[in-house]
Amino acid sequence: MTEAAPPADRPRLFRRRRASAGSESGVWYPRWFWPAWSAPGALWLLVLFIVPFYVVICVAFGTVDLFRNPLPVWEPWYWTASNVTGVYHKIFGAHAFLQPVFVRTFLYVLAASIICIVVGYSVAYYVARYGGRRKTLFLILLISPFWISYLMRMLAWVNLLQTDGYVNRVITFLHLAPRPVAWLEGRPLTVILGLVYGYIPYMILPLYAFLDRIDQSLLEAGRDLGGSPFSTFVRVTIPLSKPAILAGLVIVTLPMFGDYYTNNLLSNSPKTTMIGNVLDDAIETGGQVPQGAVFVILLMILLIIPMLYYMRSTRRSLEEA
Amino acid sequence: MSVTVPRVDAPAVEHQVPPSKRRTWWWHDPWRKPRILEAVTWAYLAWSIVPVAIAVLLAFNAGRSISTFQGFGLTWWNQDEASLFKDPELHQAIFQTLKLSVGTMIVAVPIGVAFAIGIDRWHTRPATTANFVMLLSFVMPEIIIGVALFLVFQFLLKFIRLGTVAELLGLITFQLSYPVIIVRARLLSIGKEYEEAAMDLGAPPRQSIRRVLLPLLYPAIFASAALVFADTIDDFVTVNYLHAGAPTEPMAVKIYTAARGSPTPAVNAAATLMLVSTTIIIVIGFLLYRHFTKGQRAGMHDFAAQI
Amino acid sequence: MRHPREGWKAARLSRRDFLRRGAAAAVGLPSLAAIMAACSNPTKTQTPGSSIPIPRPDNPVSQPMKGEPIASGLQPEKGATLKIFNWDQYIWKHVVGDFCAKYDCDFEITTFNNMDGAIGKIQTGQLDFDIFFPTIDVLSKLVATDYLQPLNHDYIPNLQKNIWPELVNPFYDQGSRYTVPYAVYTTGIGYRRDVIPDDTIFGMSNPYEILWDPQYSGKVGIYDDYREAIGMALLKNGITDVNTTDPKQIELAKNDLIKMIDAVNVRASINGAYRFLPQGQYYLHQAWSGDMAAAWAYVNSYTENSFEAIGYWYPEDRKGVIGNDLMTIPKNAPNPVLAHLFLNFMLDFQNSMDNFSWVGYQPPQNDADPDTLTKTEGLYSKLSGWAPPINYIPPWMPAAVVRKEDFDTGYMELELTPTVDNLWHDAWQQFQAGAQ
Repeated sequence: MTEAAPPADRPRLFRRRRASAGSESGVWYPRWFWPAWSAPGALWLLVLFIVPFYVVICVAFGTVDLFRNPLPVWEPWYWTASNVTGVYHKIFGAHAFLQPVFVRTFLYVLAASIICIVVGYSVAYYVARYGGRRKTLFLILLISPFWISYLMRMLAWVNLLQTDGYVNRVITFLHLAPRPVAWLEGRPLTVILGLVYGYIPYMILPLYAFLDRIDQSLLEAGRDLGGSPFSTFVRVTIPLSKPAILAGLVIVTLPMFGDYYTNNLLSNSPKTTMIGNVLDDAIETGGQVPQGAVFVILLMILLIIPMLYYMRSTRRSLEEA
Repeated sequence: MSVTVPRVDAPAVEHQVPPSKRRTWWWHDPWRKPRILEAVTWAYLAWSIVPVAIAVLLAFNAGRSISTFQGFGLTWWNQDEASLFKDPELHQAIFQTLKLSVGTMIVAVPIGVAFAIGIDRWHTRPATTANFVMLLSFVMPEIIIGVALFLVFQFLLKFIRLGTVAELLGLITFQLSYPVIIVRARLLSIGKEYEEAAMDLGAPPRQSIRRVLLPLLYPAIFASAALVFADTIDDFVTVNYLHAGAPTEPMAVKIYTAARGSPTPAVNAAATLMLVSTTIIIVIGFLLYRHFTKGQRAGMHDFAAQI
Repeated sequence: MRHPREGWKAARLSRRDFLRRGAAAAVGLPSLAAIMAACSNPTKTQTPGSSIPIPRPDNPVSQPMKGEPIASGLQPEKGATLKIFNWDQYIWKHVVGDFCAKYDCDFEITTFNNMDGAIGKIQTGQLDFDIFFPTIDVLSKLVATDYLQPLNHDYIPNLQKNIWPELVNPFYDQGSRYTVPYAVYTTGIGYRRDVIPDDTIFGMSNPYEILWDPQYSGKVGIYDDYREAIGMALLKNGITDVNTTDPKQIELAKNDLIKMIDAVNVRASINGAYRFLPQGQYYLHQAWSGDMAAAWAYVNSYTENSFEAIGYWYPEDRKGVIGNDLMTIPKNAPNPVLAHLFLNFMLDFQNSMDNFSWVGYQPPQNDADPDTLTKTEGLYSKLSGWAPPINYIPPWMPAAVVRKEDFDTGYMELELTPTVDNLWHDAWQQFQAGAQ
């Protein structure tokens, strides 16, 4: 579009937007136009998302009153660091009993994420490239977990993994184990598979959306240059899908860190306690609410760093494109 | 006089032999069907759907067991004392769930869509920050938002008492990012040509948005509305912290506590009810979408692809 | 890019820009300023030394009167909704329904699984209930934080008439200013009699140790309650002060609990004893006497064998944990007259016995002869119809009966000072965080 000077009778409020990456100038919108659209959402987030974190910080650096009720301290200069040092000692100190919890959570999330990537990528790849006429059917089945509620899906596993449930029946029938396995009594495997089951749909859909739109000619070029299917896959497809994998990972891994209900529903044993459980218990106990607030801040910091990295890397890839 | 050129038989070229008669091993066949991937996909789909089917089946269990199907019966729907429809608390819970879901949907979707449209076109530093915060709220574990809001309503915004209002505010905050992400994805693929064409033809900005851009966004808007509704019916983390006693506990909280505490097939029945209502809403959403986008390429694929 | 002719416009808009950016901060500033003005350094305003009274049997406490009870002779509220905040499965809706039929009201029961969580919720100050069922160890704190209202006993004549005298004027609430007792119970071990014969567990020198026995790995449970769990570990080590302030003793108990995780893969639950032990998910579970008495209703198949498979152990010399639960009325109760009448209703002999037949927890009624409890059938058993008759306390768990004399030999879990409470909670948090 060619740029033209505004006609003299147009109100001066209209002005050209700055040319920036991805936009075309020459379209006349008032300067307040687009921000006005975003304002309600931004305001909502400010009041109910940003401000609460200040409150969390005030509670974390606050005290408890006589009856062990939390007392937030609003002025930063009165903040006490006793709760933070207390939590620090519980994680890194002499009797650091929270360290195993953090380590355990990391391991579970790592294992679950790896399974999610491997299985999710395979499924997304197959549906995207070889779906054919059944693509719509596959798509509906893949989306179904979003409207079959999470609770229903976990409930299904609680039913199946009972000691006299169908899973144990199949296992004993096939003589895979001498006697029924106690799945719901504090097994890390159950919790990890539960996490995978709950979050893998969030991995598959972005991957599918991306793989569906991949330019076939790129793949064919790889093949034409003599690569076997496998090497084309490794050298062309995977690097191309890095942003999609990263996006899927972010959507899947970060919420997993705060997951406490999977453990509660499928295990309920101190052996598989995760960070989310410690947080939940601390908030319930009046005297430990400041500690709980410290955990919230800790979790936030743990998550913001990968988020920032993700934002940086996607912006870079957008600029490269 | 014609020269007779000796006919040379074309050599038997490999690619003319149909793949099934090829003698190379299946694995080395570059045009093989991806059997492993296919098996993995079907296995995944079975693993994903079959447990739910069994859970729905157990909702119609005639006996008390939650692990074995003991015959078909409506025991847990309206016969047993602790069944779904006989328990008066569950009526309240169902009503509360509907209130919360509809309320969240009608607030979160417009704000989210507006936010997405604005962010997509507004390229300044505040916009990037707002975008970052929105993405942060998307990947944030729900417990963090729930706990933070619980502390806010307890210590700062004390005029908002725990209860339905607090629950609505918490749910909208958590769900706000879904419409944003879906609509932004759609906006990226739409591009600006249509609006510019409309402006060239003389439409003022507001009209061009309303009559050109929004109709193009209908699939995304309906998809996000359906998703927000389904997600809110299922939400129990935020509501667990923000509820104020039995009348403000939605179905999800009751199912969660029952599943942990005393699971009977009535819990399965309640979850099946939730499933049915979500399916109905999705179907309604899809039909509305078909109605509104008569002129465009409409189809399940397009609708589903928005998600 | 700015057009050169729009130079001064740019300046004007950049001011607008500044205002726009400042607006966000300005919105937040007044509220923050108001809050900051209202607050002074809280760490300085805490008065050290002022504490809550710590009741003990040898140190009876009269809770301070905070406010006036309601006037006598008022009419109950009409068409109201009675809001009850109680443990899960701890009151029979049938009985509450009878009350509401009599006084023309509806009822709503909100439940909790954990006293800590319940206190956390009600101290937000934003929930209004008519009746709350606390334990004794949180009473002083509730009174001091001005949560409960004093009772007007003109509405509750059944207290004097029907209840054990020791509990009419208890040491933790002299004059029953804020509470009436609801049920009495002991804490022992529930077990599957078909897996562990009675003689085995009753014959052990220290039966608490059976909970650490690796042969029952995966089938052992304890209560998800820091007082009960740590208290039991203390008793296992022979420490009879279940309100101990000694950090070394608490440490010992905590280490024992953590050893349990590895030894038997223990799980902590609140309802495992009555809900899951009858179904075979636990063979041993720390249990309140009432839980085991009511467990028969939760078996999978209603046969004599299933019922008789449930057993309850308590020290034969009756030297174990004992306690009673309370009924109170919060200060912000919307229907205080109805609440008082409800308390009176639940203290009536027949109503409390009917409730007992479903809930399993024994009421401290004078007319309930403990020796007949294992021989008399309750209302719930009669109404249920599908089962062979089950008496108030099944005859094969006689240890579950509570007698007045048990309070002389038993150990009650009572109020702790906030510092000591912190110690206990920290120990519990360590257990919950899992194995080392």
